[in-house]
Amino acid sequence: MRAGRTWHDRHLGYLFVLPASLMLAAVLIFPAVITLKLSVTPEGGSGWHLTLIHYRKALRDPVLIQTFKNTFAFVALSLLGHFLLGLGLALALNQALPGQTFFRLLALIPWTIPDVVAGIIFRWLLNPIHGALNPLIRLVFPRFPAEFQWLSSPALAFPSVIVANIWRGYPLVMVMLLAGLMAIPRELYEAAAVDGAGWVKRFLHVTLPGLRTIILVALALDMVWEFRRFALVLTMTGGGPGTLTEVLSTLVYKTYFQFFTFEYASAMAILMSAVLFVLSLPYILLVGRER
Amino acid sequence: MRTAATSVRRERMLDAAVSYSLLVLSALFALFPVAWMLSTSLKTEAEAFALPVHWIPQRPTLQAYVDMWTLKPFGIYFWNSLVVSGVTALLSTAVGALAGYGFSRFRFRFRTSLMAGFLATQMISGVLVIGPYFQILAAVGLYNTLTGLIIAYVTICLPFAAWMSKGYFDSIPRELDEAGLVDGASRLQIFLRIIMPVAVPGTVATLLFAFLLAWQDLLWALCLISIDEKRTVTLGVAFTVGEFIIKWPMLTAASLIGSLPTIILYLFLQRFYVEGLARGAVKG
Repeated sequence: MRAGRTWHDRHLGYLFVLPASLMLAAVLIFPAVITLKLSVTPEGGSGWHLTLIHYRKALRDPVLIQTFKNTFAFVALSLLGHFLLGLGLALALNQALPGQTFFRLLALIPWTIPDVVAGIIFRWLLNPIHGALNPLIRLVFPRFPAEFQWLSSPALAFPSVIVANIWRGYPLVMVMLLAGLMAIPRELYEAAAVDGAGWVKRFLHVTLPGLRTIILVALALDMVWEFRRFALVLTMTGGGPGTLTEVLSTLVYKTYFQFFTFEYASAMAILMSAVLFVLSLPYILLVGRER
Repeated sequence: MRTAATSVRRERMLDAAVSYSLLVLSALFALFPVAWMLSTSLKTEAEAFALPVHWIPQRPTLQAYVDMWTLKPFGIYFWNSLVVSGVTALLSTAVGALAGYGFSRFRFRFRTSLMAGFLATQMISGVLVIGPYFQILAAVGLYNTLTGLIIAYVTICLPFAAWMSKGYFDSIPRELDEAGLVDGASRLQIFLRIIMPVAVPGTVATLLFAFLLAWQDLLWALCLISIDEKRTVTLGVAFTVGEFIIKWPMLTAASLIGSLPTIILYLFLQRFYVEGLARGAVKG
């Protein structure tokens, strides 16, 4: 039908989108505004006496600064792991070898496990005495310490959490890249082969350009998700030892719900969201441009 | 020519060998943690702590799968998760489909900005809004209720429910709407009686995604529920791991059973999921 045929028709559209809009406004937008307001309110204060004291404190807070660094490292290394493992597996699965479906399903398993459970699995796996990892390593390297403390080691706790997160998150990047690979026409590879291009050249000049958009979408989305990752860290280490594995989500949660410093937690949440907004711009632009 | 053919064949063999080694290694990487959890869940507590570690339970037992219902109220946790996720799926799909129909069939002012706004709310991180939301719930007496949790989950699911259903409605010919209008039906009647029945396949995917999101969440349940009888499965599992003495066989059993819905649904849904992601409609 012709759009906007009558006054009645044009305005009916608002009615259809109204319930959803109201809920989004009430449950997400309004609380976000309250958080913004709280972040400029003195501790325990009310009304419109505004202050930037929490932001000043935040910029000098060593725990927050370290947590920002942690989160960036967590996001960057998780993305790198997801991408390398995801791309490698997608390339292997795209060869249409016998058993391909079986291997694809196996590779997908970590994605189907809830975050909470993934954290618990790795906590138990890395248990220094009763976990499976230390005995497994000692099968190969008998001189490895018997009760190696992965999650209480200042040097290895954070890398362990990142490896767990790589485990949890690579399958989604893999399936997205696989979908992208399957969309590249075979003739392009055949033409390149006829031209005598080796696999490196075919990869660089056929595969990568063909995957460009899907790689960008996958990484842009993954970046937003990993930046918000919460349950895995909470159940695996709880942010410890000390604050060494703290990420922004767990820090804001603790500051609000365990230390009850609402105003400071709000300022942290605003800073975190400002960074998240910048990080999610590529995705919004990518998706918006295609419409 | 012959040398070229052999070199191509040799290259294929090499490709296959490299691919298979990568696939087998990654399958081990993917499965080992889950297998270890399964193994633990089939042990007695004594065996879970036996040294040296037993890779495979020597006397497998299902005791842990009994304990989770009797020693811990996992039955209640499952029921709560089921109610919360089920209601969330139905409501968010319904309200999202309404919005999707509006976006798909009407050209009103601010339509595109509103759609972009829906998408942008997906990027809001839970910790930005959960504090005030908790305060609001407490003020209206919905703290520690499944209702408060459901309202939150429905809202979080709305943007992708709206975007997914809009994409689906776009693929349904407008002639169907026109025929309804000619017959004198109202737009709401057309939506409910003509369009929704056709849109069932697309709607099922939305339902399941919303169900999964609610089932897996920890943050919102953690902040909005503090009493045992209202806990969800993820919350029950997270609290069990925080206890001073952890009964690992029971915890791993509960974790596995709690993951069953997500394992089954994700493996079933993977294709929808990838398509949805490519269209920018799915929340992870």
